[in-house]
Amino acid sequence: MSESADIHAPGVEVKKSCCYFCHQNCGVLAYVKDGEVLKIEGDPTHPTNQGGLCCRGNIALLHLDHPARINHPIKRVGEKGEGTWEKIPWDTAIAEVAERLNQIKAESGAEAVATAGGTLRTDDWSRRRFMNLFGSPNGFHNALLCWIPTFNVETIVSGWSPFETDLGTSRCVILWGFNPGASAMPGMRGYNDLQKQGLKLIVVDPRYSETAAHANLWLPLRPGSDTALALAMLWVIIYEGLTNNEFVDNWCLGFEELQDHIIDYTPEWASELTWLDPELIREAARMYAQNTPSNIQWGCTADQLGKTSGAGMHARAIMRAITGNLDCPGGDLMPGPSSYYVTDEELEANDWLPEEQKAKQIGSNKFKLTSWPGYQKIADTARATWGKAPTSEWFCEAHGPSVFKAILTGDPYPVRALIISATNPVNSYGDAKMTLEALKQVEFLVTCEYWMTSAALYSDYVFPIAGALERPIIHNNYGVTDSLIASQRAIQPLYERKTDYEFWRLLGLATGQDPEQWPWETLEEAFYYVTWSFNEQGYQFGSYDEFVEKYRFFYPPMHYYKYGANGFCTPSRRVELKSSILEELGYPALPTWIGPAENEEDDPEVAKEYPLVLTTGGGFMPYHHSEEFNIESVRFLSSDPFFTINPEKAKELRIKDGDWCWIETRRGRIRQRANVEPSVDPRVIYAQRGWWFPERQEDTGEEPFGCLESNVNVLTSVDDEHCDPIGGSWANRGLLCKVYKVGYWDETDTSFSIPGSSPEPGVTVPPSEQKLAYEFIPYEPKPTFEVPEGLTWDPESKFAWDLELGLYYDPDSGWLIHPETQVYYDLYSKYAYDATTETLVDEATGQHYHMETREPIIATPTDMVGGEEL
Amino acid sequence: MTRYAMVMDQRRCIGCQSCTVACRTWNELPMDIIYNPVVTEGVLGEWPNVHRTFTPLICMHCDNPPCTICCPCKASQQDEDGIVWVESEKCMGCKVCVNSCPYGARDVNGHEGFVRKCTFCMDRVREGDQPYCVATCHQKARIFGDLDDPASDVSKLVNSLKTNRIFEELGTDPQVYYIPDLGGVH
Amino acid sequence: MGLMNHAMEPNKLQKHYWIWPIAWYLFLGGLGGATLFVCGLLDIVFGIEYLLAPGALIAVGCLGIGSLLLIFELGQPKVFIRVFLSATAIIKWGACLLILAMGFGFLYFLFWLPPEWNLFWYGWVWLRDVCAALMALFGLCVVVYTGVLLCTMKSKPFWNTPALPVLFTVSALSTATAGLALASLLWGFPWFVEFWFGADAGSEAFLQAVRHDNELVVEIMHLADTILVVGEVIVLLLYVLLMRASGNVTAKSIALEWISGKKALLFWVGMMGCGLIIPFALYLLGGAAAVFVAPVLVLAAGLLLRFLIVYSDKRRAVPGEERYYARMPKGDERFLQSWKAPY
Repeated sequence: MSESADIHAPGVEVKKSCCYFCHQNCGVLAYVKDGEVLKIEGDPTHPTNQGGLCCRGNIALLHLDHPARINHPIKRVGEKGEGTWEKIPWDTAIAEVAERLNQIKAESGAEAVATAGGTLRTDDWSRRRFMNLFGSPNGFHNALLCWIPTFNVETIVSGWSPFETDLGTSRCVILWGFNPGASAMPGMRGYNDLQKQGLKLIVVDPRYSETAAHANLWLPLRPGSDTALALAMLWVIIYEGLTNNEFVDNWCLGFEELQDHIIDYTPEWASELTWLDPELIREAARMYAQNTPSNIQWGCTADQLGKTSGAGMHARAIMRAITGNLDCPGGDLMPGPSSYYVTDEELEANDWLPEEQKAKQIGSNKFKLTSWPGYQKIADTARATWGKAPTSEWFCEAHGPSVFKAILTGDPYPVRALIISATNPVNSYGDAKMTLEALKQVEFLVTCEYWMTSAALYSDYVFPIAGALERPIIHNNYGVTDSLIASQRAIQPLYERKTDYEFWRLLGLATGQDPEQWPWETLEEAFYYVTWSFNEQGYQFGSYDEFVEKYRFFYPPMHYYKYGANGFCTPSRRVELKSSILEELGYPALPTWIGPAENEEDDPEVAKEYPLVLTTGGGFMPYHHSEEFNIESVRFLSSDPFFTINPEKAKELRIKDGDWCWIETRRGRIRQRANVEPSVDPRVIYAQRGWWFPERQEDTGEEPFGCLESNVNVLTSVDDEHCDPIGGSWANRGLLCKVYKVGYWDETDTSFSIPGSSPEPGVTVPPSEQKLAYEFIPYEPKPTFEVPEGLTWDPESKFAWDLELGLYYDPDSGWLIHPETQVYYDLYSKYAYDATTETLVDEATGQHYHMETREPIIATPTDMVGGEEL
Repeated sequence: MTRYAMVMDQRRCIGCQSCTVACRTWNELPMDIIYNPVVTEGVLGEWPNVHRTFTPLICMHCDNPPCTICCPCKASQQDEDGIVWVESEKCMGCKVCVNSCPYGARDVNGHEGFVRKCTFCMDRVREGDQPYCVATCHQKARIFGDLDDPASDVSKLVNSLKTNRIFEELGTDPQVYYIPDLGGVH
Repeated sequence: MGLMNHAMEPNKLQKHYWIWPIAWYLFLGGLGGATLFVCGLLDIVFGIEYLLAPGALIAVGCLGIGSLLLIFELGQPKVFIRVFLSATAIIKWGACLLILAMGFGFLYFLFWLPPEWNLFWYGWVWLRDVCAALMALFGLCVVVYTGVLLCTMKSKPFWNTPALPVLFTVSALSTATAGLALASLLWGFPWFVEFWFGADAGSEAFLQAVRHDNELVVEIMHLADTILVVGEVIVLLLYVLLMRASGNVTAKSIALEWISGKKALLFWVGMMGCGLIIPFALYLLGGAAAVFVAPVLVLAAGLLLRFLIVYSDKRRAVPGEERYYARMPKGDERFLQSWKAPY
């Protein structure tokens, strides 16, 4: 019974807010009286959650006014990391930060200022806007571990990521490295309901996850071997003739080459790598390909396999296409950017970032698809198709770990300032020891946070940010879908908190950016600008809040087979099984097997010392990433970190349930407690992610908040050779490790054991000397037509040019064309075509020539009237 | 007559513990008092042939509750609609009801001195809402309603499916019914 | 606030809702009730009249202290009076029985105030007999009640057996006889006799008569206690062994705790050895040890038994509950103290 709050009392308003603790953004009704939220509950009318709220959603009120929240801007007064602060007013803090950023920009260029973001807890188009106007290309997120590489790979293959599964009429869905049972509660309900109606669930997961427990077919593969499984399934689909021939013939390019390319990727071949029975692989492929329309649901695993990631994404993109599941009822839908509302990309001011600054983006010379080189190609193609491009924030960023390496080494150039918003990189980026070192060493660090974290602790300034219930929220899948769900704030931010949008706006204005670039004072104004055009669709509202209260959702009319009209949004307008963009960027154009970051086959020496396979990064209730560890009601249900080990292996290693153990890789070791249960293969260790100990407030030593003690990212690697060259993902899954019990001496001193194999945390090989997992394949674009003599083939523009006259050759007509005037010129004589007289004209002399014979025409004007010779 | 009851669909429960936290925040419970833990024996069997069952626990609102007749001060009581609750103003904190409950559904902490328990969210239910743990369950693994109403979901489920009840043999006639998860696909 | 435990115990399977005051109360209630019963019996059957006054007084005192412990163990001691509101609750009947036993015990005692006070009711012997009978009756009821209170809890497998009231009754009678035997030693002191019967009671003849009666009482008590101790050994062994053999996993696990687990030392050495076998041997041997040591050991054993039983209050776990609570915080974790969030 709620004794303290009566939600039925007079004067209580119901605000349509939403949960802001993961990406689902479930609807929340907030009961507000006099600026105070009395209660919250799940919104029963919200399409996502239908009244449901998970652990995270339910603690919104505890989160709102938690005693540990940061409520005022604070400035460091002691040594870095010492934890002594003084409160300062917002405007002073912003002015001081702006002055410092401008100074760094003047001394080292705008690119010396980088920003790090976290998971969706912000409106990062505003961060991008700030960075673009400031002139730095070095914004980044953990995006590379979460969907972005997949999105870009799928987009260059089929024109847009087919991520919206049309499950209502689907017959089979593969949940690939995706455990909605712990990370997408509303989704799990949907799958359960649809399964009752006959939907077949194939679950690919090395763990007996909450979702695997409900699978029709469960593939418990070796962690990190997903790409081998994908290639083998592709083999089965192609060589057992399970493709949709009509679609392949009409819409796919490169099928024959693909067929030859994957001939060796048999289920038997994959069986060794995945530990799966070849028959199981065949069964899965058949179930998926024979029960169309079917779907592949993206899961984070796809982006967390390190160097093997890119090929796997490519293989899955092909699977979707050749089974005919693209954009059809029940299939994988490709919404494209919204033509109805202002997309995130349109708010980012990307045009304001000079080309030379784009070229300086850290990591863009190595991981090209998710940075400017690849994104530019995607954006150009998309603009040519829809007039709009995917968001550049998230989808086109600096390579985070490379930025941290640049901070430590000055290679390729010094990064002197870092602004962190809504992330604790120590927990969420790979190689935590290196990342922590970078945060300690960066010259100027600013953090926008809810809490004091190990990252915030080393900051020069920390700004208090408004969270759930305190801000309006638009949910539109990072700005790359065509629908939109809107929520309003329940109350104005408490204390001195501001939204991140206001932070970036104020900082932008303080660094001297044009106020006209920041016309919206509040997020509501900005969101009204975003949604305003719905008024043209028959909606009627005068403010964003009114839109939320009256409509809340925008779903455009459903259109299947959108490609039917204009083809796919690829350079060739077809599904490019063999991707031209990958080829142009220097990557294998067809999915090619490469083993995971560490594996028994490629690294037998490592496997000898580290015989177990580690998988991590998977979500588990009740936490989301590294959040909620300081909410007692949540922490109470999961107070210690646990890793899972099979009883057989545990017995062999004399580990009992609940024992504290070390998990060690070549990078270092962490301690977690043993959860001994047969939910993983005896060769596999599953470790929980995100662990830190926010209650250890006064521990401001080398590892504040015990941030390395149980943090799985101590174990992961961000060496360039372990990252996916295509998308830059580093590996959370499929690493080699060993496990042993914590001994007496270890127990009394946990920090002593952290170093791992490198004596000092940091970077031992300069980034520019670090090799990629494979080398770029030099791209020599060949002309697709015969280049006439005397003309020069230009691979950049893909035209043959007459360099003397600046004309390009049009292979269809056989004429030369002037790029600006669009005047046609004769290939041989170089005379211009005069349309009025239908003759050729020598522009230098004005002499007309005969079209066919190219002989001079000397005739009276009347002769010319009919256009014919006398 | 109304007889409130709850059905726990163990086929759908994924052990996310949302109900545990939701109950705590809605009812503003002290840290060490949990009305509805979700328990499991973990994954059982031999890899990869394994299974797991989650059991959400809650007050069973028994038809023959041992916790009401033992209360000397009539604080622990059952209403006409079957809801068993404790009137904190009347409770003197003897804890005999806490000890008498076979389900551990009651608790008391030293700071408050009176016994607390799940009330099926009486305040919500009598306003026509669902108990909060039912409303918050994403998986719809909890179904609440009037067992005496043949049209209600609980009535349909309880009467048309083989359901289990916990410690039925004690004669408490518990009114929380469990649809067992038999493993495999459903 | 009462004597309740304020420390957080998140493990609800291990949490003891009734703790030491209840163990003391069960012991004192048994001791007091059984003492009233024995006193009444001695009065009516053996006619040893005046020597039982301090027995009754001690018994009433035990019951009183026990009741106070019971009250202060409540979560809301100030409102203990609510205990009489319900007709069905065993606790209510227990409270009534306690009051009745204490009441009649006290009334009975009023007949044994020093003779020189010459109170007017001294002559109403019939009333004294009625009081003795009722006091014995309600005393016995209290004894049985202490067992019944626990044994009706079907949630507690180790308590939920009719053998528990039998065990408590035998144990209570044993402690009562031991207690009376000890109390009787008081009559060996002339000052005590003089205090009780006035200055003129100091005559040698009077003292002799007192001592004679007293020796008889002590002998009866010793004999009775010897038999009761043997009975208690049998009942207790059967109790624990049958629990060990029972089909209930929880009862079985608790019995194992007694037999070979963490309570084994207390049970075998403390309870069985020092509390029952040694006193039995001492009673047989007689002499000073029988007079001074054996009853003390029996009383201590009675208290130990109540503690052992009260702390064997584990509820039968729903499958999975053990694992759930084993992974809960212990209650002293730093994160529970760091921020002092409202809940």
